[in-house]
Amino acid sequence: MSGYRPAHPGDRARAVRSLLLAPFDRRSGARVAYCLLSSVPAVAGFVVVIAVAVLLGSALTLTVLGAVPGVGLLVAGLTLARALGRLHRALARRFLGVQVVDPARVAQPHPGLVAGVVARLRDPAAWRAVAYVLVKMPLAVLGLWAVTWWLVGVVDLVAPVRRLVGQRDVDLVWPVPGGGPRLDSFGESLGAAAVGLVVLLAAPWLARAVTALDGRLVRALLGAGALEERVRDLEETRAIAVDEAADRLRRLERDLHDGAQVRLAALAMNLDMVREQLDARDRPELHRLVETARDNAVGTLAELRDLSRGLHPPVLDAGLADALATLAATSALPVELSVDLTGRPTRAIEALAYYGAAELLANVHKHSGARACRVDLRTSATALDLRVTDDGHGGAHAVRGGGIAGLVDRVRTVDGDLTVRSPGGGPTTVDIRLPLHA
Amino acid sequence: MRVVIAEDAAVMRELLAQMLTMRGHHVAAVVGDADALRAAVAEHRPDVAVVDIRMPPTGTDDGLRAAVDIRREHPGTGVLLFSQYIETAYATRLLAQGAQGVGYLLKERVANLAEFTGALDRVAAGGTALDPDVVTQLAAASRRTEDLHALTDRERGVLALMAEGRSNAAIAQHLYISAGTVEKHIAAIFAKLGLTASHDHNRRVLAVVRALNSDPDG
Repeated sequence: MSGYRPAHPGDRARAVRSLLLAPFDRRSGARVAYCLLSSVPAVAGFVVVIAVAVLLGSALTLTVLGAVPGVGLLVAGLTLARALGRLHRALARRFLGVQVVDPARVAQPHPGLVAGVVARLRDPAAWRAVAYVLVKMPLAVLGLWAVTWWLVGVVDLVAPVRRLVGQRDVDLVWPVPGGGPRLDSFGESLGAAAVGLVVLLAAPWLARAVTALDGRLVRALLGAGALEERVRDLEETRAIAVDEAADRLRRLERDLHDGAQVRLAALAMNLDMVREQLDARDRPELHRLVETARDNAVGTLAELRDLSRGLHPPVLDAGLADALATLAATSALPVELSVDLTGRPTRAIEALAYYGAAELLANVHKHSGARACRVDLRTSATALDLRVTDDGHGGAHAVRGGGIAGLVDRVRTVDGDLTVRSPGGGPTTVDIRLPLHA
Repeated sequence: MRVVIAEDAAVMRELLAQMLTMRGHHVAAVVGDADALRAAVAEHRPDVAVVDIRMPPTGTDDGLRAAVDIRREHPGTGVLLFSQYIETAYATRLLAQGAQGVGYLLKERVANLAEFTGALDRVAAGGTALDPDVVTQLAAASRRTEDLHALTDRERGVLALMAEGRSNAAIAQHLYISAGTVEKHIAAIFAKLGLTASHDHNRRVLAVVRALNSDPDG
């Protein structure tokens, strides 16, 4: 907006003033603080990374057995690099205003020590943090050097004062290595003051250049990668979509329950009141007609109930255990149910598990020839496991367009996982694993 | 009969009150949520409370929880739950303290006023009134257990009708058998479930509760 306005004398005055005051403004202060503070973890991190590399090298050259502690050392080093990355990210955010998305936690697809070690060794965020720690070291030295420009500037600026108060051995100080000439006269000391002013005015630009470069590196090496950020974004929006869909079905069921179902029940009741008032002997056809109307209302109510249950069984709001109890009891086959829930999954996941169990029980009844089946449901800290086992003839597999294939698709929408083990002759076991939230 | 009605849908609430008043019952209070129900029962000490399961404040099983509390705190008040759905876990929870003075019916059973008020009378008198769906579900949930395996199909059928709160005569009429045969079946059920004569007047209820409590997960 202001770019289209002709330069105003006041604007120019302001520009000159901000140029002169640049060495002492708030942003320069923040940059100096950043250069000073970040140099500590920079040096420490560099030393550690080099030490780990040296130790690792010697461990591996000494003996093959050294590989075991070597790997441990490497994992520890990578974990430390990640932690240093977090610290540098926090400093850059606080002092430079560099906003970077934290990289995802180490993804460990399978539990266990070996898988954990492998996941940490292959963690790209940790390796990028190592790269940052390595390039940060020279950058930190540059940053500290930029800070010295303020000191040099001030020292030179006050050279005339130092001479006036009687100091004899006053030298010109350069911000670069190497001593300056002795200042023999007051005139020379005034020249030194001019140099000091220039150095002082240049200092914030140098600090700005160094921290700008650092900020770029923080963004490139310590943030989440572009792909990773996109994946996280998609995961977030997918979770919103999944939860939203489940909520909408739930609201629909609630509206039916509070609206149409109540009115139908009241209607059926009203009709029965009318039926009671009519004398069956006096008006037999009318009596029958009202009775039929009542029965139709009751029948509609039953259909509506099945429809509602298909949208969202309200008992799910009381938890999966209660919902599965009814499912098991109303199943066409005897179902042995075992539920062990510690955490509570989100509503969408509960609904998915419920309809998964319903679909599998229906399948068992229709196709397996089983006489009984088991449903086991348990949750761990991160996942929900549902297992349906039957004593049927086996040979089950996902058919395109079939119930199990549809279930696989639905389970996949939340990164869940469905496996079927069904050898010929049975028994059949279907396992569904879902995360606790979408 | 003094009745308290708890139902959050105004249409249903008013209609029930009207119908019960027309039949000469005294409707002491009509309320729309579980907390008001507890207060009304404490104040009026009715013979029976007609309670919708899904009510405010949470809109899940508030009515059921209030019913369990009422049965514990006011044994003189029977509770007839009615709901759009029959849930096995809810039935088990309701009956955990015993089957006296409780009922659980599908909401649409009010469309048969004679049966509905009959059930209400039974519950008010300390009896039991369970929807056929409740009985079927509980029997299914418990069909793996030993005790009930010992029963014949006919005996299980008689037990189911007992759970609905029917008298021997009503069971005989329903199954087209003589009252004597019903008594023989009931004696066999008592024997197989290990209910001796010392339990006497409670044996009917005990048999029902035994059947319900044998649900392995209940």
